[in-house]
Amino acid sequence: MSDATLATPTGASALEHGEVLVRDAVPAALISMRDIWKTYQMGSEEVHALHGVSFDVQKGEYVAIIGPSGSGKSTLMNLIGCLDTPSKGEYWINGKNVSEMDDDELARIRNKEVGFVFQTFNLLARATALHNVELPLIYAGMSSTERHEKAKQSLAAVELTDRMMHKPNELSGGQRQRVAIARALVNHPSILLADEPTGALDTHTSYEIMNLFEKLHSEGNTIIVVTHEPDIAARAYRVISIRDGMIEKDDRLR
Amino acid sequence: MERSVDRATSVGGKQISASQKPKRRHRIAASALWEAFRVAFSSLRSNKLRAGLTLIGIIVGVSAVIAVVTIIKGLDQTVASTFSSQGSTVFSVSKRPQIITSREDFLRFNKRKDVTHEDWEAIARLCNLCWRTGLSANVPRETVKHADQKSDEVTIRGATISMFDIDAVNLDAGRFFSDSEYAAGREACVVGTDILENLFGGAPPESVIGQDVRIAGRPFEIVGVAEKKGKIFGFSRDNLIYIPYTAYQKIYGARNSLVVFIQAASAEKITEVEDQVRAIMRNRRGKTFRDEEDGFALETQDVFLNLYGSATSNIYLVTIGVAAISLVVGGIVVMNIMLVSVTERTKEIGIRKAVGARQTDILRQFLIEAVTVTAIGGAIGVVTGFGLAYLISMLMGFPLLMSAGSALLGVGVSSLVGIISGLWPAWRAARLHPIDALRAE
Repeated sequence: MSDATLATPTGASALEHGEVLVRDAVPAALISMRDIWKTYQMGSEEVHALHGVSFDVQKGEYVAIIGPSGSGKSTLMNLIGCLDTPSKGEYWINGKNVSEMDDDELARIRNKEVGFVFQTFNLLARATALHNVELPLIYAGMSSTERHEKAKQSLAAVELTDRMMHKPNELSGGQRQRVAIARALVNHPSILLADEPTGALDTHTSYEIMNLFEKLHSEGNTIIVVTHEPDIAARAYRVISIRDGMIEKDDRLR
Repeated sequence: MERSVDRATSVGGKQISASQKPKRRHRIAASALWEAFRVAFSSLRSNKLRAGLTLIGIIVGVSAVIAVVTIIKGLDQTVASTFSSQGSTVFSVSKRPQIITSREDFLRFNKRKDVTHEDWEAIARLCNLCWRTGLSANVPRETVKHADQKSDEVTIRGATISMFDIDAVNLDAGRFFSDSEYAAGREACVVGTDILENLFGGAPPESVIGQDVRIAGRPFEIVGVAEKKGKIFGFSRDNLIYIPYTAYQKIYGARNSLVVFIQAASAEKITEVEDQVRAIMRNRRGKTFRDEEDGFALETQDVFLNLYGSATSNIYLVTIGVAAISLVVGGIVVMNIMLVSVTERTKEIGIRKAVGARQTDILRQFLIEAVTVTAIGGAIGVVTGFGLAYLISMLMGFPLLMSAGSALLGVGVSSLVGIISGLWPAWRAARLHPIDALRAE
């Protein structure tokens, strides 16, 4: 079983030469990263943001990815969120091999499998909270009545029913982040992926948001939080530390 | 154990989503399309100044094209109806053709014999295919008086009674002259409506029947008032007086060459009738079949239409072309604004992509936005274009020909301009990388 989840550099070359073999090995984990490399071209120089990262995340886990700036954790987050594809290696999410997907297939994965929560909320400024939460459902092709219903349920789950017709500039930072969380959850994604979710919030509000994450985790959601704050990471059940594009530590806290 | 369960569900989930794919595609079209329209309108609302400027760009272009096309249609219609007021069954026999293009021709035509009353009589007698024949002679700028009122530049048309039919004159009041009046050369006349305006202070047609007007110092009794025909190029076609040719001859003598008009029973028969009249006239001019020269001009009113058509078609093309250029400029304005809009909304594009918008969704959104602006601009442009054409046609005195076709064309073309000029900005937006787009401020 560990063979399937922890691919070695040899495994990576097997991908190149004998794809069929690897294809057969659909990982059992919800998320499976196998020897992921990400290389950027900076002028004439090649910069390796990730040097062969491999790890699995099981359904229902609450994982923090921690590392200093420049460690490659943002690159890793972009790959987990299917905003980008690896230069080398395989990435499986919910039984699908994302590393070979084209732009539109990635868009579909982002729509179905990933719920994003960003540091700066990234809500549409001109749209109401309700419409912001509906956005993923629009691109999922859901009818408007169904959409309204689901978006309202999702807003109720973050206790924002009374604010759903407000626009982001009429909401506090904590409320905005809750709208973003409602949006992330509305399409029932496989993972909730949060990038510095409390980075723009005060301590008290941060605490509330982290409590909300705890609650969502207890309800069975799979959560991955990318952060550089040890306090935030300490709320997770497992902490993956990234340094210089590699996994430095992978600790289970409880 | 736990993992194998996970595996089973995930594989199962994959199968379900695969089977749902076509249905999902179909639904996406409707909901994403509506979203695109919603976004387009809210984007226009939130940027009123910019939307306004874009609209003006399109409005100017479309209204220019619509106005020009409408005015040209009106002009054409006026010209066509004027020159063919006698209908396509009428042709004329005269000394000179109505259009002479060179001095040599003019001198040559001048040497011809005049067309005379006898020529008409001969045609009337010999042409069994002719339906109607008539003759007329005009004095173009005569002074006409009534009491202390005076009107210059009135056309005096000495005509046979049959000319009323050939010219398709209808009466507002009174009657045409009678056979006995014609035979006696009585001073009776049928006046155009301008005469009422200029000499009778706009009196109603009925009230002037029986009154006199003085033509070349002689009193003529008004027996009828002709229906208004309107203006062409600012020239009135109602500033004329019909008098019996017999009376005309008494005043002006036979110094002018006459024009004989012949009407065929139908447009199909006109060639046949023309051939017969030509034979009669050539015979009277002593021309054998070897002579290439007729010695007279036989023409339908089409000569004017043809001349008008050839003279104006190029001018029209250039005018429409110039108007169309302003539409191109409008398209460039739209493209510029859309590029700004894409740049400004890079973050929004990133957010949409992060939650699952595909390239086609983004492309569609910006295309719809461009088309929405240009279609609205096009609709307003059609209205202002018709308004402009209305004003100009009022000033110049020709009918306004607004057609649903040109309105549709205006909106259609401007929407096309929207698609063309929106395509590149929309494509740029669609191709943005989600990470780069999200990073934008």
